[in-house]
Amino acid sequence: MTINRMIGLMILLFIVEGAIMPWIIPAGYGERIITHFSFVMVVYSAMYSGRHHALLFGIGFGLLQDIVYFGHLIGAHTFAMGLIGYFTGVLLERKRATIMMALSMVGIACLLYDTMIFFIYKAFRITNETYAWAVLDHILPSLFIQLAFALAVYVPARRMFESLTKLKTDEEEQ
Amino acid sequence: MIELFKLMRNKRMFMLMIGFILFIAVIGFSLSDRKELTWPEKFIKDTSAYVQQWFYKPAGSIAGFFEDLSELRLLYEENEQLRITAAAYARDKVNYNFVQKENERLKEALSFTERQKQMYNYNYLIAQVVSVSNDANNRSMNINLGSKNGIKPNMAVTTVKGLIGLVDSVTPYTATVTPITELDESSPTFNSIAVTVMGREDTSFGILSSFNTETQRLLMTKIAETDTMTVGDTVITSGLGNVYPRGLVIGTVETKQVGDFGLTYTATVKLAASFDHLTEVFVVEVPALEDAE
Repeated sequence: MTINRMIGLMILLFIVEGAIMPWIIPAGYGERIITHFSFVMVVYSAMYSGRHHALLFGIGFGLLQDIVYFGHLIGAHTFAMGLIGYFTGVLLERKRATIMMALSMVGIACLLYDTMIFFIYKAFRITNETYAWAVLDHILPSLFIQLAFALAVYVPARRMFESLTKLKTDEEEQ
Repeated sequence: MIELFKLMRNKRMFMLMIGFILFIAVIGFSLSDRKELTWPEKFIKDTSAYVQQWFYKPAGSIAGFFEDLSELRLLYEENEQLRITAAAYARDKVNYNFVQKENERLKEALSFTERQKQMYNYNYLIAQVVSVSNDANNRSMNINLGSKNGIKPNMAVTTVKGLIGLVDSVTPYTATVTPITELDESSPTFNSIAVTVMGREDTSFGILSSFNTETQRLLMTKIAETDTMTVGDTVITSGLGNVYPRGLVIGTVETKQVGDFGLTYTATVKLAASFDHLTEVFVVEVPALEDAE
């Protein structure tokens, strides 16, 4: 698995997230269940292929998200994804994370990510709802869909990202 | 100061600081009142919308098929209602034709200028939604018409049920629609909308100033004390100010109460349109005012 193919797959995931997921989420819950699939992949890349890959993926896909759905400001997703991806990498890069560890990391990272995005928008007065309400309204319900997705792609994602680093270390050894 | 230099020696901390400053700078740049997007933004948006439209529509038709199956039983009832509406429409159409002829004749007699005559001659452009944002605080969606098709910022976007939002930014082949749920007085990126009530267009007036996400209702302010607006009235855009077209349905009045200072009334409005599973939307093109002087 080369890094180019990985980027291709993640772009496909990003496109599917914007174009197909709105149809899968039942009518009436569109405002409450918010998918962050590309962010889940960034967290996986931090755990299984290292913090620098995570930083690059985070900044790249965050920026893509910011530009394609530009509504109020550019940069919120870029910053949040890059930062959280990098620090997940700093914490867990050296350990071999098991499935439970990986899922709980994805959960915590998603909570952090949503919180960060919320407070950035709050700081620029784009929303004026309270944090407690936002948690109950969309952060917690969407956490479950993120975890379900993380569980579904755990095996392929781990294999792909680990092969990404293996390729790199092989090259270094030669 | 020495402490600060020690902190700076840590490369990670230094990079974080640089990143943070860059981030604030980019946000500041994007928040400023930009007339047009930069070309990299346009390029990325056009490319992604081009790819996303292959996915959004097929997914929609598959989902629509299953929805139709589950709604098969309601079909009879709906048909009945439609027949009644069609009868009413046929009756009104005759009346409308007379009134329109009369109106045109009077305009001619009063020697209206070409500009005044064309003012309310709106053009509805049909657009397809290609993607919906996955950000709870920015539910923007992209449509597949852009500046090449004559779309401009601030055009109103509606569905058959009612107004859903305004065009926010435009690229050559796509446009981003900010939904009306982002309406906010204090937000730097959205304007308020002047509205009136269907049936009493000349006596009722209000301004939609913000959307309360917690109750999912629009707040209408600046309603005069003498206004006869009541609960259940249909709220439509008034077209005063000539930015937004007139006569677009927004929703129904749910409650009406005395405002903060006791001088005016406020009302809450329930939206008519739903934002889930959107396919076709209409962009309302207001005839250009300058080329018909």
